[in-house]
Amino acid sequence: MSESGRRVMIVPCSGIGKTYGTVSREAAYEVVEEMRPDETRLVALSLLVMGDSEARAAVAGGPAITIDGCKLACASKMVKESGGTVVREFDVLEVYRRHNDLKPQGIALLNEDGERLARVLAEEVAATVDAARSQEEGRDA
Amino acid sequence: MPELPKKKVGIIACSGEEIAEGTVTRLAALQVLERLRPHKTVTICLPLFLAGGEGDRAFAKFHHTIAIDGCDKRCAAQATEMYSGKPAAGIVVTDIVREGGLGPVEGRRRLNEAGRTAVAATAERVADLVDDLLGSEWDRTREGHGTDDPLVGAGQGTEVQAAPENAAPQEAAVQATCSCGSGIPIQKVEIEGKSVSLVGLSLIFERFEQAGKNMGSETAGDLLDVARIYNPIPKDAEGAYTSALIREYAAFLHRRRKTP
Repeated sequence: MSESGRRVMIVPCSGIGKTYGTVSREAAYEVVEEMRPDETRLVALSLLVMGDSEARAAVAGGPAITIDGCKLACASKMVKESGGTVVREFDVLEVYRRHNDLKPQGIALLNEDGERLARVLAEEVAATVDAARSQEEGRDA
Repeated sequence: MPELPKKKVGIIACSGEEIAEGTVTRLAALQVLERLRPHKTVTICLPLFLAGGEGDRAFAKFHHTIAIDGCDKRCAAQATEMYSGKPAAGIVVTDIVREGGLGPVEGRRRLNEAGRTAVAATAERVADLVDDLLGSEWDRTREGHGTDDPLVGAGQGTEVQAAPENAAPQEAAVQATCSCGSGIPIQKVEIEGKSVSLVGLSLIFERFEQAGKNMGSETAGDLLDVARIYNPIPKDAEGAYTSALIREYAAFLHRRRKTP
């Protein structure tokens, strides 16, 4: 398997009307740009909705982690619909329930609590990335 | 002739998380929804056309829709047309950036100066399109009267004022009207032996009931006029649609009386 083939696909929610969508994206960017830039790749939901062949191949070719901002779980549904394997579905609301001292507010710009919640979520996603890659490497060995 | 209800304009951003221009679409849509035209616009997440239900897919049938795309793949415009209805208008951020000579847009997480300028330019363009879409249709039919409620007739509401540019502080608190999960109500109705999906019927019936409209030929005509705003009704089938609408309205009233 190629190096890029082992990247874990990170697919956040596309929601623009609620703060939890912003938290999901912020966490995704934190993982992809800061925490695990060489091990992950961000995939846009809109490309999967359109059936973009390159985006579909990307999610079908490696493990995916989805981060949904509401119970409708668009990211998880679209990755599965596109033939991908979701190794873990994160739900921002569930993470917030476990860290309810961090109340996110704002959509265009998150408040401080929202940023912190995104960071907590990103750390969980990064740990899942590591586990998924270890599992893949164990399988390849 | 009844006053026709007023639809809002649906804004659908591609939201493309992989590119900075996708961030521009998201922030521009938010500016329009929250500050520039808060009472005239509503949004829905693009993936809901596939991940949601029939009510979500009715979005572009119910509202005039503007697609905001980040690149020339035009995912928002094309997916909206494929799964919901043809957008009334579409704009592409890369076109706006090129036309305005705004420079390279960078920073999908934190936009650079060119990106922020592109957000403002895109939002202004969308707000103009919102005005065009509402003005071109509604001013002809409503003669300047209206309410913000899409299903309330004249005399039952107040004149809606356009949100001023450079929103005042209290308007900054307006939340984007998100349709996620609410869906547009769809009802299957038997017309000339076929099952037809009609959009927004229960909302129309509720408003008619609240307006005290009873069964009668005038109400039948009014129902047809309002229903056709949200649904294509063939000219040669108007009689059948009118009969079906009055039958369904009677059933609706009957159910309401049985379940207070």
